[in-house]
Amino acid sequence: MIKRSNRVAIAILGATAFTLAGCREEQVDAAAYPNLQSCLDDASRGGIFTVQDCETSFSQAQTLHVEAAPRYDALEVCEEQHGDGACGTEATATQGGSGSIFMPLLAGYLMGNMLGGRAGMSAAQPLYKTSDGRFTNATRSSTFSSNSGSAKLNTSQFTRPAATVGKTPMTRATASSRGGFGASGSGRTGFGG
Amino acid sequence: MQKITLPERPHWRAQAKDVGFTFADMHGEPYWDETSAYAFSLDQIENGLEDPATELHAMCRDAVAHIIASEHLMERLAIPKAHRDLVAESWKRSDPEIYGRFDFAYDGQGPAKLLEYNADTPTSLYESAAFQWQWLEDQLAAGVLPEATDQFNGIHEALVTRFGEVFEEGSDLHFTAVAGNPEDYGTVEALGWAAREAGLGAHYCDLEKIALSDDGQFLDDEDRRIAVLFKLYPWEDLLRDDYANHISGSGCLFLEPAWKALLSNKGLLPVLWEMFEGHPNLLPAFFEADVADAIAGQGAPSEAVAAAFGRAEAQLGAGHVRKPILSREGASVSILKSGKVIEQSISSDYAELPRIIQAYAPLPQFDGFRPVIGAWIVGQACAGIGIREDRSRITQDLSRFKPHYVTP
Repeated sequence: MIKRSNRVAIAILGATAFTLAGCREEQVDAAAYPNLQSCLDDASRGGIFTVQDCETSFSQAQTLHVEAAPRYDALEVCEEQHGDGACGTEATATQGGSGSIFMPLLAGYLMGNMLGGRAGMSAAQPLYKTSDGRFTNATRSSTFSSNSGSAKLNTSQFTRPAATVGKTPMTRATASSRGGFGASGSGRTGFGG
Repeated sequence: MQKITLPERPHWRAQAKDVGFTFADMHGEPYWDETSAYAFSLDQIENGLEDPATELHAMCRDAVAHIIASEHLMERLAIPKAHRDLVAESWKRSDPEIYGRFDFAYDGQGPAKLLEYNADTPTSLYESAAFQWQWLEDQLAAGVLPEATDQFNGIHEALVTRFGEVFEEGSDLHFTAVAGNPEDYGTVEALGWAAREAGLGAHYCDLEKIALSDDGQFLDDEDRRIAVLFKLYPWEDLLRDDYANHISGSGCLFLEPAWKALLSNKGLLPVLWEMFEGHPNLLPAFFEADVADAIAGQGAPSEAVAAAFGRAEAQLGAGHVRKPILSREGASVSILKSGKVIEQSISSDYAELPRIIQAYAPLPQFDGFRPVIGAWIVGQACAGIGIREDRSRITQDLSRFKPHYVTP
């Protein structure tokens, strides 16, 4: 049996590139659909996605919706962000959800033609209405004018959004202090051995 | 095991530069050195190094359970009293280990002898897992090495598998190291690549930039919560930093886990000898406090170790090494033969700590250099080796990294 790896990662990119290496700015074919049917219709006309892509992506986007939709503690706050009538309780979105947490309704999904299985990415992203009649993603970092159509998009659009269920890592918090690690080793040049 | 002179790849320096291996030369000296390489037989690799290393890791896990059950041993290993529960809890919760590196004295003939276990913050991962691998592929392609020449180096793939076993796909991991040290950073990024390949999110943040949130969680430099933190920074330092008291309440999983503080500690060596006396891969070892007088011929060893000391006395008398329980890159290590210091490291870092005594296993010599074999443990099994050699008897931070291969 061969005792070495078939492949390795040979490049050391440096600290700045490290964070971005999972989502470098390459572009992929992408399309947005308001619902599953519109995707299936497009597929039957020979669009970039197959029927199976549509189904997998729609179910992925629904899962992400439950997991990572923006959550609010009041209906008014949610509607301020997403427009009148565009929100519901967590309880209606998912079994076991809370009746006093509010989430926007799923208003479409964005699909990327990905090479599959990429770390920290999801090829399907839920879309939500904004209060001014446009569409946004789960982290509300991007806004789209429409929930149907196709375009080339940066792969970073398909970064998996941070979960919002419960209190989770990667949600933002307020720092009370910084720099409490590292002092004991000051003066040494390296820490490994 | 032989040292074979080989032509260097003509473009390796350019390649090192291209891939960001900036520490291929360090302190004005070559660090990566492919003017020669070590050759092993498959038997030497599998029976001399791989299986013993895997077995030793299992023995070390037994030793962790043993030490955790004993306040006395925790004391001897200088685990701060306030944090002993943190260490014990990490073990009881089965916080997962990712990697570690045994350092062996091995000449290809007798059994490999364990010098120490870098179980917490081993470096040289990048050059072992990646650059060494590329060297072999290039030398095979160039016809310098015959077809079917292999290398004991499944490290990268083993890391990918390990990350995949431990974390659910899509989990976010943070990686940290002290800023400004390319050598440490190379190891961190090699791990980050493996995590990413396992389907995880890998984020880097300098150690000094980590923050504490209002509700006691650790945050990265962009104020994102840290759920899992791989730190290339030793537990003995973490436990003495300002944030030490916040670790247990932070909900953050630290890698390596806190129980590795018991293994990356030379106090492990006398514990292993007490538990597995006579094991072929172990050298007799004692806490200095138990045997200092006896070794100087000025008194008796402490009662608990008297019998074991008696059995090892002749071997220790022939030569022994004195090491502080915590030290890296050979700092404050001295080698004594017949009571005389024959070699002493220049650095006196860690000199104030308690010490252990270990029987001296001279490193073999090849062309005036003495290689130490680093056997990488990933998860709980040995996955590859990396070799560093030094002119000195104590391998220090000016040592050179040498590639190796397995003869067909």
